[in-house]
Amino acid sequence: MRYFRSLPAALAIALLSSSFTAPPARAADSGPIKIAVITDMSGVYAALAGPGAVEATKMAVEDFGGKVLGRPVEVVGIDHRNNPNEASVKAREAYDSGADLALDMTNSAVALAVAGVALQKHKLAIVTGGASSALTGASCNRYTYHYAYDTYALAASTGANIAAQSNGKTWYAIVPNYAFGQQMLTDFTAAIERKGGKMMGSDLYPFPGTTDFSSLVLKAKNSGAQVLGLFNAGADTVNSMKQVKQFGVDKNMKIAVGLLFLSDVDALPDVFAGSRITTSWYWNEDAAARKWADKYAKRMHGLRPTDIQAADYSATTQWLNAVKAVGTTEADKVQGYLDNRQFNDFYAKGGEWRGRDHRVIHEMYVVDVLPKEQVKEPHAWFKIVQTIPPGRAFRPESQSTCKKDW
Amino acid sequence: MLRIVNFAHGAMFMLGAFVAYYGLAALHLPFYAALLVAPIVVGAFGLLIEVLFLRRLYGLDPLYGLLFTFALVLILEDAVRLAFGALGSPYPPVLGLDFTVNLFAAPFPAYRLFVIAFAIVVCLAAWYVLERTPVGARIRAATEAPVIVRALGIDTQRLVSITFAVGIALAGLAGVLAAPNQNVEPAMGDRIIINTFAIVVIGGLGSIGGSVLTGFALGLLQTLGAVWFPAFNDTIIFMLMIVVLLIRPSGLFGNPASAK
Amino acid sequence: MTTALLGTRRGAIVAAVLLLVALVLPKLVYPVLAIDIVAYALFAVAFDLLLGFTGLLSFGHAMFWGGAAYVSTILIAKLQVAFPLAVLAAVAYAAVLALIVGAIAIRRQGIYFAMITLAIAQLQYFFAYQLGQWTGGENGVQLIRGRGTLFGLPLEDDVAFYYAALGLAVLGTYVVVRVVRSPFGAVLGAMRENEQRAIALGFRVDRYKLAAFIFSGTLAGVAGVLFAIGNRQSGLDGVDWHTSGQVVMMSILGGIGTIFGPIVGAGLFTSLEHFIPSTALGDKTNIVMGTIFALCVLLFRRGIIGELLAIRPKPKS
Repeated sequence: MRYFRSLPAALAIALLSSSFTAPPARAADSGPIKIAVITDMSGVYAALAGPGAVEATKMAVEDFGGKVLGRPVEVVGIDHRNNPNEASVKAREAYDSGADLALDMTNSAVALAVAGVALQKHKLAIVTGGASSALTGASCNRYTYHYAYDTYALAASTGANIAAQSNGKTWYAIVPNYAFGQQMLTDFTAAIERKGGKMMGSDLYPFPGTTDFSSLVLKAKNSGAQVLGLFNAGADTVNSMKQVKQFGVDKNMKIAVGLLFLSDVDALPDVFAGSRITTSWYWNEDAAARKWADKYAKRMHGLRPTDIQAADYSATTQWLNAVKAVGTTEADKVQGYLDNRQFNDFYAKGGEWRGRDHRVIHEMYVVDVLPKEQVKEPHAWFKIVQTIPPGRAFRPESQSTCKKDW
Repeated sequence: MLRIVNFAHGAMFMLGAFVAYYGLAALHLPFYAALLVAPIVVGAFGLLIEVLFLRRLYGLDPLYGLLFTFALVLILEDAVRLAFGALGSPYPPVLGLDFTVNLFAAPFPAYRLFVIAFAIVVCLAAWYVLERTPVGARIRAATEAPVIVRALGIDTQRLVSITFAVGIALAGLAGVLAAPNQNVEPAMGDRIIINTFAIVVIGGLGSIGGSVLTGFALGLLQTLGAVWFPAFNDTIIFMLMIVVLLIRPSGLFGNPASAK
Repeated sequence: MTTALLGTRRGAIVAAVLLLVALVLPKLVYPVLAIDIVAYALFAVAFDLLLGFTGLLSFGHAMFWGGAAYVSTILIAKLQVAFPLAVLAAVAYAAVLALIVGAIAIRRQGIYFAMITLAIAQLQYFFAYQLGQWTGGENGVQLIRGRGTLFGLPLEDDVAFYYAALGLAVLGTYVVVRVVRSPFGAVLGAMRENEQRAIALGFRVDRYKLAAFIFSGTLAGVAGVLFAIGNRQSGLDGVDWHTSGQVVMMSILGGIGTIFGPIVGAGLFTSLEHFIPSTALGDKTNIVMGTIFALCVLLFRRGIIGELLAIRPKPKS
């Protein structure tokens, strides 16, 4: 035990004193510009974003010319594995080794973690795939933008659309009992009440761990409501939908699914047919969208892009434009340029980088999921039933809870 | 019964569902056939694991068996995810059972009635074999007093292997039954394994009847609980588990002699 | 499972090597990863005290790690409590939790003991989910404001925090070593080898077990605080049963009952988990980890340090 202390202790003192010096400052204005796409490469969100998101970002860089301010632009894909801890370590590492932008962060917990890192490192983070409206609310910060959708937008679009009709006034909701579910319930209730509707009842079920929704589905059916709202996500949505169909509830009630993506329907088309959802973009919505989707399909073996992948392309292009305009990648300057700027591209119609809370607003689309027989070509699952203008789709600035400190 | 804490039991359940899915998607294996094929496939796989790996760990601290099965879960779930994706694989409702019956003025899917009936039959069969047949008697004896049984000339190792394989096969069977109801995804076993432990502990280690009854009771409790007291639904099963472990560690129906 | 390593020349060499590596770690890997390694190492050492030296397998040890992580981050982030006070409160939480859980669980042995710890850990997990106002539910707690200071030394810099954490971890490990080599530790060892005999000799084994459990849980709590503050966040992962399983894996990988084994195991495990995803095997990370672990359980049960121990010098004839 004597050895334990003497020799290593001497070394300890020597090394400790040398290690407290600051690391050498990295030259900030030369070398390649890096974009870190932090996404789920192999888990539940891999089809929604994942490798497709990395590819879309690369496409944006290439279409921009591959370089900006005379420096080449590199795209790095980082797997966050749906682990906020890992994501934050990797984000820190990415920023410290030269990344100027963190993009995607599909998964709300990851998005919030990386937003925190972005604030500390004074570098920009654009969240496309996370849902939490806290990103532009209680957890807003100077360096984070929320690009694609959030829980409020989903509620304001789907909820308003269905409740506006005479056969969509009374609702019953099945809600997972955690932050996401509770937020969806709050937002949806407000949205349908604005249209003269009423949430007749809701069931908050234990999350995680519930796979059987039979009693809840029956309760919903017996409530006599016109609409059933499923405010869950992932496997829960699949399970509850499967059981909704099993009990034949979709024959008497309209089914509104809070959160669903093209990739989900690709995996399980029969389960989701007949439900109404909201998306921020659809590859077949118009000629411009289709043109881009064709380019994507060529690189991704015929797969069609989801709205998140399109958002990544769009955000990258807009960011590169901003960098070019201000002549630097310094986050403060780029953020100053982006705030309150309006723009339009194939993804965002009527787009604006809201300066009040860093919510990027644009049109949203309420769509029906078509049954297989009505689908005219592979992946053409959606039929747009309403377009919601940006002013109505997103939480009004006046109601934002963001404590703006920039 | 075998004093093996098998963390991979949930993964076997998941495998059963995937065998059913793959059978249908690639080989047009209908559901009813899958009810037979999947347990055989999964049971055989379980037997392989037992013979190749678990056997080496019997004499040791049960810790190692537990840890090995824990590692097995990681491997199996990831392998299935690589093969089939993480989102879920479609399994359609079963032909012939895709209608509802009006029971107590509520619609009741015929498929669920089928599952209930089928499960009861299988559980009764398992109980009968174990409690009322010579083979069952030998298996029970082999787990309670292996040395004596071996002295009688009975190959306890073979009994253990077969019992284990059958247990795994039953998990696979449960997976097939779950496939039309639930999302067939790699993580589906993860969700139920902890609850399964609780059920076995509460019902009584070593008691098949206990496990079955507790399983049914807890299933009922959870479904009703979802409506009556949702906030505590998750925690009830664990509180019960703690209470039982303290008051009657061998479980409600278990044999006190098998409590370590 | 032996203390044969401690107090020997070989043991001292291993300790020196580990300390050396620890001192230069921030230069070898990304500093926050280094913090993670140190935190997990302390966690594993705390766990090994219970498993390797007392013979109790806890399958819910993440409740101390994650619970203390939550308490410290919530106090700092939501209640603006000063750093040292928050840490003390979190450690106190772990200690009290260990007292309660230990008192309940000790009444049973073996697999039943493990099941009780698992069940209680699951209860804490569900409470963490339900108390979303405080814990942030799925999103966890973010420490935006900063880490604070330790006796005036600012901890914002990751490297500075690493050394502070390292100091604490070395201290914790040292205390464990002293405990194990004390008369108290000798009784633990006796209980592990033959509990009946220890009882016959007049030892109140329950009290010893409880003491060991409380000590182990408290130290795990310290480790959890280091991890959470180092990463500037806490979340459900910390109290998930998979994390309880991971610390078991780390200990086995390194070699239970050797103190240094779990340290090595933690370092190896954490590094693998961090680096594999960026390699070609990236999407098969779990398969790789599971296979390594399965092989360890089947063939190298003594773990890395354990195998090292087994290399005995040829006896003098």
